[in-house]
Amino acid sequence: MRGLLIACGVMLCTLSGVAAVQHVRSGPSTAGSNWHEIAWPFPRDGWPAGRAFRCDASACGGEVELYVRPKIGFCNCDTGVADDDEVDRVADLDLMSRRFVPRETGKVIRISDMAGRARSYDLKMTDGSDHTAVGFALSHRCDLMVAVAQGEGTAEGVRRAAVEFLDTSDMTHWMSSALNGG
Amino acid sequence: MKSRAFGIALISIAFVACGGAYAQQQVIGAPPEASNMKLVGYNDLQARSAYQPTIHHQGDRYIAYIGHHGGTDEIPDPVNPLTGKAEPNGTSIVDVTDPAHPKYLHHIPGQEGKYEGGGAQMVRVCDGKSLPKGDPNAVYLLRAVGSQGHEIWNVADPANPVLVTKIGENLKDTHKNFWECDTGIAYLVSGAPDWRTRRMTQIYDLSDPAHPQKIRDFGLPGQEPGSTGAVPTELHGMISTGPQGNRVYFGYGTDKGGIMQIVDRDKLLNGPKEPTAQNLRYPEISEMAMSAFNGAHTTFPMKDMPIAEFANDKDGKTRDIVMLVDEAILNECGEPRQMVWFADVTTETRPMMISSWTVPEASGHFCERGGRFGSHSSNESMAPVYYKKMAFIAFFNAGVRALDIRDPYHPKEVGYFIPSITAATDKRCVPVDGAQRCKVAIQTNNVETDDRGYIYIVDRANTGMHILELTGAARKAAGLP
Repeated sequence: MRGLLIACGVMLCTLSGVAAVQHVRSGPSTAGSNWHEIAWPFPRDGWPAGRAFRCDASACGGEVELYVRPKIGFCNCDTGVADDDEVDRVADLDLMSRRFVPRETGKVIRISDMAGRARSYDLKMTDGSDHTAVGFALSHRCDLMVAVAQGEGTAEGVRRAAVEFLDTSDMTHWMSSALNGG
Repeated sequence: MKSRAFGIALISIAFVACGGAYAQQQVIGAPPEASNMKLVGYNDLQARSAYQPTIHHQGDRYIAYIGHHGGTDEIPDPVNPLTGKAEPNGTSIVDVTDPAHPKYLHHIPGQEGKYEGGGAQMVRVCDGKSLPKGDPNAVYLLRAVGSQGHEIWNVADPANPVLVTKIGENLKDTHKNFWECDTGIAYLVSGAPDWRTRRMTQIYDLSDPAHPQKIRDFGLPGQEPGSTGAVPTELHGMISTGPQGNRVYFGYGTDKGGIMQIVDRDKLLNGPKEPTAQNLRYPEISEMAMSAFNGAHTTFPMKDMPIAEFANDKDGKTRDIVMLVDEAILNECGEPRQMVWFADVTTETRPMMISSWTVPEASGHFCERGGRFGSHSSNESMAPVYYKKMAFIAFFNAGVRALDIRDPYHPKEVGYFIPSITAATDKRCVPVDGAQRCKVAIQTNNVETDDRGYIYIVDRANTGMHILELTGAARKAAGLP
């Protein structure tokens, strides 16, 4: 009996320890960067909510918001992010507006060990205003990490600010952990 | 006394948390788990990962044609013992006339590539004598080949298939086709290179299988070439009720954001064909959006079902029902539950979900067993033996489940069969803290029935094909002797 109670205690401690680790890993640190985390601003959809960040105009040349999340099992395991149509489909632009038009052919992009494409868009918001957005789709085996950045500045400025932030060690660590069951 | 009770409570918690689940993991040599279903026969399908079985009553024989996914990392091209050669997974052809002794006749190799990147997943079969311009001596097999195109074979001699023609090339993807054997109209799930989605519909007239005639491309507005904005959920498959029923039920979305689209078949085939948003919308009768949590893998129509509870009502005694089956795609319950739904489509412009059904997870601790748990597909045979009475649902690590659907408002499980794993059963892994943790479990992927009442289930994890029959209360519910 005593042995079983000890075993139960160990198990419960282990479970609580796992929960604590998961809590620590729940989001990247933004300390020391120009970005700060904000609440995920979108209603629940088919994928769990991701992480949202804001960079103030003083640091990013215009306010920029970035929304990033994994989409597990949503990528072609063999071809990865094959073309711009895939960026249109998966990059969460429709969370902001279903009406968007690409500004250009997308670019190949690599962040950490993930390869994919980035493409800029003009968004027509429901209030009639126009926004600039950049969608990112990065593959990791059969999974995707998607991000979309929107801002007031130029598309190139929004893209550069978002890429610099996504490529920080805190963010790459978090993205890797999110895609690898951490 | 108090401390003893506390100890017992802790032990109970520990058992529930970590003990019961692992006791349920499958081991080689253990018997199958079954209720009101029993094994009649088995074939290992050369340990190839299986997708669609189609059972064809061919002369005085019954032939099973089974589509396969591509190979695995460990064995990309399994050896075909009949030829002695390593062959990329394609189509297995098995004589199941005697279901207790199925005989493997031939393997048609498929496209090189692993998992969903290769193989020849989908297969449909029509007799030449039923097709308006077919060779009456031929039996035609239509299959999707990997992601790139489609093929038609003459399988009149199922041990020696002959290629008739190829359809499409350089597609982005293929999947769950449908072929009307009385008209020859085929709805091919394809990914036309210029469309914005991986999967849409290419409609062909295959009444003369040797000379395919393209009719049109079809999809949801926003998927067509040149469109902008959000791209609707990609197609999974469709089922047509032919010229008599004049409806095609399309299912979009695999495990998320499902859409059931009801389409007027005549308008679809004869309406304006240029892929504009307006023309794509023209044949549509209605769309029913499902939850973002669920997709529409199979859309199985059952029209004019008498509902016993409504028998004394002056209107609405019979209902048109569509059974929708989602597909689970992630291992070990990594997503919202994928299950079975029943929609009442009697008022076609206002379809409504009326019931759902899932295997109770706790009945087998299926989230802990390994591999996928959740639904994938149903049988699609409309032979009278089971149509509108019994449905069979492939539920991955929970095997096949037999549902009494005579009251689709209250579907009820009456039997199940979970095959044993074998040495060939492939592992399924999930990432845990950066490493892969793998388990071995049955992965019943697809199911089909024949007009004799036999049930054929095939395994995605390379375990082969099990031929089953109903027993006990399930057999009685189906009205079988």
